Amino acid sequence: MCRKKLMLTIGLMSIMLTNLNASDDKILPYPIYQHKLDNGLNVVTVPFDSPGLAAFYIVVRVGSRNEVEDGVTGFAHFFEHMMFRGTDKYPREEYNKVLKMTGAGANANTSLDRTIYHMTGNVDYLEKMFELESDRFMNLKYPEHDFKVEAGAVKGEYTKNFANPYQRLYESLLNTAFDVHTYKHTTMGFFEDIVDMPNQYEYSIEFFNRYYRPEYSTIVVVGDVNKEKVNSLAEKYFGNWETGNYSAEIPVEPPQKEKRSVHLQDGSIPPYMSMNYKGPAFSDTKIDMPAIDVMNTILFSQNSKLYKKLVVEEQKLRFLGGGAMDSRDPYLINIQASFINKDDFQYVRDEITKAINEIKHNGVDPKVLEETKSNLKYSYAMGIDNPDAIANSVSHYIYLTGDPESLNRLYTMYDKVTDEAIKMIADKYYIESGLTIATISADEKGGVE
Amino acid sequence: MKTLIISILLTGIIMAQEIVELKQPNSAKLVVKFMFKNGSISDPQGKEGLTYTTSQLITQGGTGELTFGDIQDKIYPMAASYYSSVDKEVAIFTFQFHKDWMDEFYPIMIGLITNPSLSQSDFDRVKVNQQAYVDQVIRASSDEEYSKKALEDFLFRGTNYQHMIEGKSASVSGITLDDVKAHYKKYFTRNNLMVGIAGNYSEDFLNKLKSDLNKLPDTIPTVPIPPVVKSPNGIEVEIIAKEGAFGSAIFTGYPLSITRADDDFAALMVANSYLGEHRKSYGKLYQMIREQRSMNYGDYSYIEWYNNGGGNMLPPSGVPRHSNYFALWIRPVQIAKQLKAQYEELSDINIGHAHFALRMALREMDKMIKNGISQEDFEATRAFLQSYIKLYIKSPDEQLGYLMDSKMYGRENYIQELGELLSKVTLDDVNSAIKKYMQIENMKITIVTDVSEAEPLAKSLKENLTSPMSYSNIVKAGLSEEILNEDAATENFKLNVKNVTIVDSKDTFK
Repeated sequence: MCRKKLMLTIGLMSIMLTNLNASDDKILPYPIYQHKLDNGLNVVTVPFDSPGLAAFYIVVRVGSRNEVEDGVTGFAHFFEHMMFRGTDKYPREEYNKVLKMTGAGANANTSLDRTIYHMTGNVDYLEKMFELESDRFMNLKYPEHDFKVEAGAVKGEYTKNFANPYQRLYESLLNTAFDVHTYKHTTMGFFEDIVDMPNQYEYSIEFFNRYYRPEYSTIVVVGDVNKEKVNSLAEKYFGNWETGNYSAEIPVEPPQKEKRSVHLQDGSIPPYMSMNYKGPAFSDTKIDMPAIDVMNTILFSQNSKLYKKLVVEEQKLRFLGGGAMDSRDPYLINIQASFINKDDFQYVRDEITKAINEIKHNGVDPKVLEETKSNLKYSYAMGIDNPDAIANSVSHYIYLTGDPESLNRLYTMYDKVTDEAIKMIADKYYIESGLTIATISADEKGGVE
Repeated sequence: MKTLIISILLTGIIMAQEIVELKQPNSAKLVVKFMFKNGSISDPQGKEGLTYTTSQLITQGGTGELTFGDIQDKIYPMAASYYSSVDKEVAIFTFQFHKDWMDEFYPIMIGLITNPSLSQSDFDRVKVNQQAYVDQVIRASSDEEYSKKALEDFLFRGTNYQHMIEGKSASVSGITLDDVKAHYKKYFTRNNLMVGIAGNYSEDFLNKLKSDLNKLPDTIPTVPIPPVVKSPNGIEVEIIAKEGAFGSAIFTGYPLSITRADDDFAALMVANSYLGEHRKSYGKLYQMIREQRSMNYGDYSYIEWYNNGGGNMLPPSGVPRHSNYFALWIRPVQIAKQLKAQYEELSDINIGHAHFALRMALREMDKMIKNGISQEDFEATRAFLQSYIKLYIKSPDEQLGYLMDSKMYGRENYIQELGELLSKVTLDDVNSAIKKYMQIENMKITIVTDVSEAEPLAKSLKENLTSPMSYSNIVKAGLSEEILNEDAATENFKLNVKNVTIVDSKDTFK
């Protein structure tokens, strides 16, 4: 990146962060350049002052949400593993060798709605990164035996996760809270499907042909780069990638009619309860999700009345927290509490409900509302101090809406959250019929009303 | 003139303190770190975990003027953050805040460090969490983290490095608020403090900080010396039998005489990276155990403590140690009970993959020790590391952390110096370092596994029984002859096992 331009960007950053409370500034103090290739692939460049370093991400909008067929839950995640298994040009060993040469930190991860492949390293190797990635995204080819073998590594991942009771409860929670939507299973998938993975070779090829397409993908480059260079590399290496035509029909979850509960009997860890209300899908134009974020911050931050009462003063809880995960389809607003004594389950559940009802009836303190907006903005501004953090953040909004500018729009929406909006979403989402309560204790049953 | 004299006097007084500066004029954020050179090795006997309690109480409590709740109210709109982290030899407090709030946040930061309230109510809250961690969380939430902590307990037994940072069940329950107050006075002093500051701060700000730190106790702490650990006698194994474990989680290690302070470390780092770079697919162990045989999620080697390996991709700063050890991490492998349930063809096995995986890892290491690494592998691994180490310091927080750690090892700037050392290192240096520092004859091993697996695995290890790899038919059918031959050579590879004991999970970290 040209030094002069870099200084200009930084100057701009300081000004913008200093005026964080002004509503017309964008939360990301760097420009987001977008360039769409003819085949539909979006290319996003964010220049950032990290001399010699760049983060190179590819966001594929496919996750466990797309696992609509029976018997293949966990497949988006399994497939992420297969993407490291090679091509004709770069068989696995060769891929590893070249990747090692770049000295990059490279990996991938899968979640409900997306799979992200990332490399962060020496910007001198940016073209090599493009070449490696375009080759496997366009020409992936792995032997059937490799496919069968890799399934064992996924089982190993499940085995390591299984040790954690919270993870086991989460698996049951999703299975209880959702009836038909693919959010019913975790991204790891059902264990019986994981054991069966070696038999799904043909499906894996189908999966690749469906989703590893330009219209599902966005390239994000953040760091010591300029958009001209990034766009020209994208044209050179991804210009010939063929557009696909597949679109999954994701089942729509019907409204939940009554309260549900799920319990894990396990006395090996402190008692635990989570309350999960059905929430909305992410949107940067509707006020619902921004208002939920504000309400959760008000209710569950360390300075909240509830936290001070239950954790600090009464010391009934070891921990209290709450938030709604951003997702493409309606998911869960999650409130978590870790207990000192399981006999307090009902008391704490009632206190949380009381605090929610208080907001439904009386709204929130205007001063707290303003402070919360400040909190959300400064939290964000504090976190974006390296290329990976920025690339991660931009990728988050890309998988949700396809457009990285969603990030800036969301933070503008936070400014528009009013007392009325909070009362509205409290009445709409924090309702008993949309609630699933999950508990862990040594008892046979959770016993929470 | 008067101001000037006072200023000179103040500067003179605090010359003893080490200040690490990282000026970043364009940054909108400030990072301040207070590193007290006293970690869990300073815990008195019977009060193990006290340094951790004290540090937690400082960040989870109030100041002389403000309660914990008051502070939370004040910092809420700022989104300022702070936390403490304790390791064997250091206790570090990290504060991060936006420069817009510098004046408002400063008194809170300095108040917490120099005048913490140390109240009974905050203490009770902190202790409950600490007790839950040592009694339950460490055993129940991650078998791989459990086996790692258990290995440290085993490897450093009888020394001040043995106990977990968070302490032991009995010791934590005995810690009182008076213990904390005394410990704070004795060990959190201005005489064993290193301060780090990064961001766009003024000289006035720094001078005020230096001056205010004089409010810290002026005692001169006697910090215990890190242990020199004896080499194990042969291979000693501790199997931790846990009800309902889904796999076998393995950690092995032996004391290592060098640290980052030694120039040889760069050569050893190349060897280590070749064998098992943390969470990378390039390492030999990963390729042999995970990639070719799909036995688990990953297999890596280490020449220094790697904090929270399951969560971190890159090694975090803030854990400088002088008593070092080599370690292998074999992530959970399948146990017989699970394999039998999953595959009909494996219905007659009585142990899972643990013994075979262990043999494969140690045999691979043995090959490296005997044969060295090739010129080609040397060049590739060194080139990788030369770029990769720069990722350790992507953010201001990490840069500052590594600079402060450098001082603990007697270096100025470890990452920069390591880059220079790596550029000079030769293949001969690497292969000599392997011969000098690596061995598989004397080590300690911990395995967290299911109760059903403990006895048969113990017998198999103790008697060096043949441990054939138990593949499912579907995987076995496509394996190359090369892999099958390698397996045959591995299943009888003799390990120098001298002792195997089984410990009930309930009896660990007592």
